[in-house]
Amino acid sequence: MIHYKGISKVFKSELLKKPFVALDDVSFSIPEGEIIGFLGANGAGKTTLIKITMDFIRSTKGEIQFDFDSKIKNKFSQIGYLPERPFFYPHLTGREFTFFMGELSGLSRFRIAEQIEKWAPRFKIDFALDRKIKTYSKGMLQRVGFMATLLHDPKLIILDEPLSGVDPIGRKELKDIIVEVNKLGTTIFFSSHIVSDVQEICDSVIFLKEGKLAFKGSIDELINNNKKQESKIYFEDNGKIQFMQVSLESQSRELKKMLEENKNIISVEPNRPTLEEIFYDVK
Amino acid sequence: MMLNNIFIIAKYTSKEILQSKILLNVLLLGLAMAGVIFVAFNFTYGEVSRVALNFGLSSLSLSSVGIAFFMGVTLISREIENRTVYMIISRPVSRSQFIIGKILGLMGVLFINILLLSLLTLLCYGLIGGEFYSTIFAAIIMTMLECVVVLLMICFFSLITTQTLTVLFSLSLYVTGHAISEAKLTTFAMKREFVSWVLEGYQFVLPAFAKFNIKDFVVYQKSLDISYFFNTTLYGVFYSLFLLFLILLIFEKKNLD
Ligand SMILES: Nc1ncnc2c1ncn2[C@@H]1O[C@H](COP(=O)(O)OP(=O)(O)OP(=O)(O)O)[C@@H](O)[C@H]1O
Ligand SMILES: [Mg+2]
Repeated sequence: MIHYKGISKVFKSELLKKPFVALDDVSFSIPEGEIIGFLGANGAGKTTLIKITMDFIRSTKGEIQFDFDSKIKNKFSQIGYLPERPFFYPHLTGREFTFFMGELSGLSRFRIAEQIEKWAPRFKIDFALDRKIKTYSKGMLQRVGFMATLLHDPKLIILDEPLSGVDPIGRKELKDIIVEVNKLGTTIFFSSHIVSDVQEICDSVIFLKEGKLAFKGSIDELINNNKKQESKIYFEDNGKIQFMQVSLESQSRELKKMLEENKNIISVEPNRPTLEEIFYDVK
Repeated sequence: MMLNNIFIIAKYTSKEILQSKILLNVLLLGLAMAGVIFVAFNFTYGEVSRVALNFGLSSLSLSSVGIAFFMGVTLISREIENRTVYMIISRPVSRSQFIIGKILGLMGVLFINILLLSLLTLLCYGLIGGEFYSTIFAAIIMTMLECVVVLLMICFFSLITTQTLTVLFSLSLYVTGHAISEAKLTTFAMKREFVSWVLEGYQFVLPAFAKFNIKDFVVYQKSLDISYFFNTTLYGVFYSLFLLFLILLIFEKKNLD
């Protein structure tokens, strides 16, 4: 769907400061029909790459290729986009804003009304649609903005931290919507800090670290690559549950020893790193 | 499709401004002004009422230019700051369509405002028994043109510099643009070919707002030289197109951070 080829971005800020490399030769592809998570710490360059994708800013080097039908004149008619920390026209109502976005996408007013009827209850925003946007909370802005990206049934949706500012139940609802829209054939590319959200719904992930591509691929692969040759033995000691971390080779030896000491062994588990741990380790 | 996008953006831009109720304050101000004029008309007789009309038209032009200033400074810069522009240009909308739509939207509101305030002024004038003639309407049209040029000038500066500097530059150009016609008539300038040449050049490059000020005519003569009206209109239109061209050129290349 999208192919990034050697994207670099250098910000030349104030005169005397030295230029800042926000993206350094980043190449990867987003396959059609998948949900791709885009991970990275604050300042890793996620938003910068998304802005380049949307032509808001230009890359210093590299190019981006989109696989859209050659009949399509304007690629943006196939893309839905939600910015980071969205903010919309404060004096329009949510409904007016949604119509604004829908009309710009070339939809009829009837079609927009139909889409609002379908999506607004799903985003739990229908009750507030006739209020001015300046009265909206952070999460409500996120929801209206997300809804507006779906109006024209885009082939590709790019979301910059769509789940930030949304409460836990809301996150679940939004994740469900992402999965549902994806099942209808939409490719989804979204950035996040929260590894578990990404792990839950993504086919694979792109991980940026300080502007460089640190990992691309499936989450299982990432976990398998980083599987530690270790396990944890949980046992009871003086009425307290404790564990001991052992390497795989020494595991049976250690177990035997414990049994001889009449320790009450509760379980033996492979020591799986969490995704968070892996990400802090990825080089 | 292209005009359609511009129209949609203009529509929601004016809707946003109207619903923000900022203009309500301006209209209240206009109403108060009209009240003052009404009282002034009541106490003046004959020719003097024309002077009062001049005053009315001047306040009309000042308040309209004021709105153009006030709203123009943030029209585009706020879109970039608040990232609202991202939502628009992530739809199949070109940057030029966005800018033209925004400007037309504000211009629409501006015109409605000028019309309302003019109606008020003329209503008072008519109630007093003032006489209507074409120069009055020409003066109102000139005010509209002046507002358009001011608005575009401000948008231009707001794209290349900070808000404070935008106001500073625009204000200076507005004042000198008005003073230029007087400067041309000083004996100092008339006697020196080079100086009058520079002043002519100024009008060609920088906006000569004095051209749009025909309120003094209103006082002294009832009909305006039609060719002057025509030439000034052309000047206003071409100057606006020139500014718009620069704005589009800059915005097309701009990094929207
Ligand atoms: N216009 C700019 N000028 C200079 N530096 C910039 C500019 N925009 C971004 N940067 C820098 O580029 C780096 C990447 O920023 P970016 O916003 O892409 O990070 P991010 O991965 O989206 O972070 P977050 O998770 O906090 O949203 C940061 O160090 C930031 O300071
Ligand atoms: Mg970001």
